[in-house]
Amino acid sequence: MKKLNITGLITFLVLLLVNLPFLVIIPSSFTAAGYLAFPPEGFSWQWYTMILDRPEFIDSFWTSLKLAAITAVLATFLGTLAAFALSKYKFKGSGAINALMLSPLTVPSLIIGISALLFFTRIGIAGTFTGLLLAHILISIPYVVRLVLTGLSSFDYTLEKAGYMLGAHPFRVFWDITLPLLRPAIVSGMIFSFLTSFDNVTVSLFLVAPDTTTLPLAIFTYMQETLDPLVASISSVVILLSLVFIVLLEKVYGLERLFGLNSQSH
Amino acid sequence: MSKRLSITLLTAPAMIVLLGVFLIPMLLMLLLSFQDENQAFSLENYSLFVQDPFYLQILWRTIRVSLWTVLATLVLGYPVAMYMAQATGKMRGIVTMLILAPHLISVVIRNFGWVVVLGEKGWINEMLLALGIIEQPLRLLYNELGVVIGLTDSFIAYMVLALATSMYAIDPSLNKAAAILGASRVRTFFSVTLPLSLPGIVAGTTLVFSLSMSAFVTPALMGGTSVKVMPVIAYEQIMSTLNWPLGAALSFLLLASTIVLVTLYTKLVETKRYKEVFAS
Repeated sequence: MKKLNITGLITFLVLLLVNLPFLVIIPSSFTAAGYLAFPPEGFSWQWYTMILDRPEFIDSFWTSLKLAAITAVLATFLGTLAAFALSKYKFKGSGAINALMLSPLTVPSLIIGISALLFFTRIGIAGTFTGLLLAHILISIPYVVRLVLTGLSSFDYTLEKAGYMLGAHPFRVFWDITLPLLRPAIVSGMIFSFLTSFDNVTVSLFLVAPDTTTLPLAIFTYMQETLDPLVASISSVVILLSLVFIVLLEKVYGLERLFGLNSQSH
Repeated sequence: MSKRLSITLLTAPAMIVLLGVFLIPMLLMLLLSFQDENQAFSLENYSLFVQDPFYLQILWRTIRVSLWTVLATLVLGYPVAMYMAQATGKMRGIVTMLILAPHLISVVIRNFGWVVVLGEKGWINEMLLALGIIEQPLRLLYNELGVVIGLTDSFIAYMVLALATSMYAIDPSLNKAAAILGASRVRTFFSVTLPLSLPGIVAGTTLVFSLSMSAFVTPALMGGTSVKVMPVIAYEQIMSTLNWPLGAALSFLLLASTIVLVTLYTKLVETKRYKEVFAS
């Protein structure tokens, strides 16, 4: 029992606290009552069937899903290409391009949202799906670039050379050697982009129109007016969906590694 | 294919997005913040800030809430990072998963969970009332406390990550050496672990401070109409009042104050001695 000290106790408490929202939301969504209560009263699926009667949530769910999927594919494609250039070639300005690619991470989302709205209004794509998509690609690119660059930093280029020496076409080398070796980094970039886009509120807030609202924003708006178990049932669906992607991330890449916590000291 | 052409072809697509959605828009926003209602150049939007105590109060509130959040994430996050550094294999994996996974789930949803817990008819109040500890429900939401709780939950993962990264780098044999030399666990903590984790503390506190300063969703949902912070005011200026130049100026003022405060703080902490120890 030597390990159960104050550190362990506080850790347990903190883990409980950060997961408390989910421990409360999921049971609350099954309440038979007409209001939010914890512990929930009775058991019923009514708040789940009720989602089906709310077109704003259904529509925004599909918008979010479509948005996140297209963002994931395009951001991963653009980010991976850029990371290849940054890793493979040493050129003048590569440091600046690298810094620029990562910079959307350091600028507050609020400023990204407002400035995008401003510019999109001028060029006429404010409130369109395209505008929203471009902004989501922008905020996802840094994650992809960082992940793929990390993957490339330990990449063994002699394997590519071996491919060439055996007479393979450059595309064949890329497809059969480079890509499979980098797959974990690229796939994680894609999953991470999906989650980033699917959960984003602050940037989207400025860029959606009533018919392009995303699910988190629909929940945000609904929550500001009413708090009922409907939010709980919708949230539970999102939690479940996000968990699927988190487990995928853990399996493909490992959360510890994803967040740069991969120490060899133990 | 020439090297130059390859580089251009590979980086151009991402660069176009960065230029079109990030650099050009930001430049436009900066220009706009210097415009008055006749679109002439003016410092009006910025001078308003110095003259009107209303905005200064809001900035001060934003800073205050952010500082409390930094303190809360540090105090709660430090033991977690320490535990992760001590834990082995499987246990460390579980703790990492349980602290990082919620961070990947929508902030709106997590805030909603807290509203359910902290509300007047929420879990905590119902429990305290039932136990007879309080007679009136406590006000845990729609005030600064609510915002700090929400922000702490949102950003604690960043703090733990920064702290854990620096703690993993501490050689465990240093602790053993201290123990062999007869130091108590408390003494070892204050003489070895704490000073050596300083880079993690600096990184974590600056990160959480910057994030809290520009947080919008949590103050909007858990602060209510009475606890407005800078991002909420900027949002209202843009989307409700439609005073875009002022909204833009307020956003840049917020960013500038954050940068100034963070710079002062790091200058203060990163003394000559600090640099000698942690130069790498």
